[in-house]
Amino acid sequence: MTECRCFGAVAHYKPPSTDSNPTLEDPTPDYMNLLGMIFSMCGLMLKLKWCAWIAVYCSFISFANSRSSEDTKQMMSSFMLSISAVVMSYLQNPQPMSPPW
Amino acid sequence: MLPCKKCAFSFSTKELKSNCFYFCVLCVYILCYTECYLGRYNDDFDDGEDLAEFDDNDFAEFEDVNEDPTVEVESEPPPKPAPSSIPVEDDEDEATVEIEDGQDEFEDADAQVSDMYSKYDKDEFEGYEKTNSPFKDTLIYQDVPAHLQNSWESYYMEILMVTGLLAYIMNYIIGKNKNSRLAQAWFNSHRELLESNFALVGDDGTSKEATSTGKLNQENEHIYNLWCSGRVCCEGMLIQLKFLKRQDLLNVLARMMRPTCDQVQIKVTLNDEDMDTFVFAVGSRKAMSRLQKEMQDLSEFCGDKPKSGAKYSLPDSLSILSEMAEVSDGVMDSKMVHYITNHADKIESIHFSDQFSGPKVMQEEGQPLKLPETKKTLLFTFNVPGMGNTSPKDMDSLVPLMNMVIYSIDKVKKLRLNREGKLKADRNRARVEENFLKQTHAQRQEAAQTRREEKKRAEKERIMNEEDPERQRRLEEAAQRREQKKLEKKQMKMKQIKVKAM
Repeated sequence: MTECRCFGAVAHYKPPSTDSNPTLEDPTPDYMNLLGMIFSMCGLMLKLKWCAWIAVYCSFISFANSRSSEDTKQMMSSFMLSISAVVMSYLQNPQPMSPPW
Repeated sequence: MLPCKKCAFSFSTKELKSNCFYFCVLCVYILCYTECYLGRYNDDFDDGEDLAEFDDNDFAEFEDVNEDPTVEVESEPPPKPAPSSIPVEDDEDEATVEIEDGQDEFEDADAQVSDMYSKYDKDEFEGYEKTNSPFKDTLIYQDVPAHLQNSWESYYMEILMVTGLLAYIMNYIIGKNKNSRLAQAWFNSHRELLESNFALVGDDGTSKEATSTGKLNQENEHIYNLWCSGRVCCEGMLIQLKFLKRQDLLNVLARMMRPTCDQVQIKVTLNDEDMDTFVFAVGSRKAMSRLQKEMQDLSEFCGDKPKSGAKYSLPDSLSILSEMAEVSDGVMDSKMVHYITNHADKIESIHFSDQFSGPKVMQEEGQPLKLPETKKTLLFTFNVPGMGNTSPKDMDSLVPLMNMVIYSIDKVKKLRLNREGKLKADRNRARVEENFLKQTHAQRQEAAQTRREEKKRAEKERIMNEEDPERQRRLEEAAQRREQKKLEKKQMKMKQIKVKAM
């Protein structure tokens, strides 16, 4: 078997640029991050418990789908905001959440 | 106080004194009974006797008494006790007291009270209805507010939410671990083959020099990359293990409705001298029709519908997109057909192209002004068997496909079109470029006009900013002369075109 390897022709890895192919990127973590922030603000301002809980779920989903290269600060801030929304809504109104039906 | 008609009394003077005493007792009794039974009348008084006949004398009731032993006993007690109910103490023999009824009432006062209701005549009273519990039905029992109940059961929605979050976290950990095990299993089964063919296996791109890391590069919890380089006939090979999003519970639930499978994508980039000019693709029918719409090069160079691979004894599930028949004949040799036929279920698409630029890019403002950059590329997309329920052992079945990739790299290097094919390919590429330029002509003209205006504005600004008036004048003159020359040139060109046309 002839030697196929060519040690002189080694090319360095270049990560594919996302600007050239935006369709290849998965938009889920960004959308979920944005949704999480919106629901957190709704839960805090309008004192809606269900909004706050959905915000927590959105931040979890965003974290699960995030890329390794993404900044963890963004994730943590979204997560903390949603937790604070839940805590504040229960401090202001300790009543249990009523189902919509 | 009305006289009692039922009782008969006769008194002497001595008796009168004793009667005074009895009268006082009677008054007390009357007062007690009127409080309880106000408005109730004894039928005794309805017998029709004229009350005016009786004297005002307090004792009138005792003087004129009509004996009527046949009068029935009244069921309801009168508002005052009947004279017959007065206890009589006969001090003297002369006093005779005839008591018809009711005497027993005075002997036992408690019994009298309890028997009152039973002796009422129902017809006597109007608008009076006995109710057993007049107030109980109107009572409304309010529920104790939930937050004051001090029970965890009222917080069932919160418990559900927390349970859902815990389930999501559990699924994240399990899914992430499974994907990691699958990736490692794939790498372990392919490591030997890759290390024998490539000098560099595994490069994350972070270090300055290209060094072999010998491990997968994790991009995501479900995407793993591997860069291999240092081989003849190719620049490099990027392998992407695109697993299912097992770490996301929503995705897991969505996959229950619509099953999908893990994929392995291999992109081999070639040097200019490693491949001739042709575009070719083979794969499942669905994938071929999708790629023809999405991919820039396939839509431009392979305009015909995907053809069946029956000519090459391929299964019916596969179809071919080719720029020309010569290319199909050249690529689909016996070994290639053998590989494809044996692993048809795992092959999603195989795409060879010298004009690869990725999927079509839709721009809102119009078409791009420049042709997209192209690269000679071989693309392979394989489906991992198991349809989502993949086990690490399934990764061994992908090794023959990697052998096919290596074989394809060498094959493409050797494949050369004949003269006719080469001419046809060159004509195709020129046609595509011309079409592109025509479509973008208007935009390019506008862009050129904008550039010219920008240049003029910059020059004018420079002249205006010049402080020395002499120099300013000279620059203005130079600009005017340039404008004049350009105008003359244009006029000359127009004249030449007119002459040529004639």
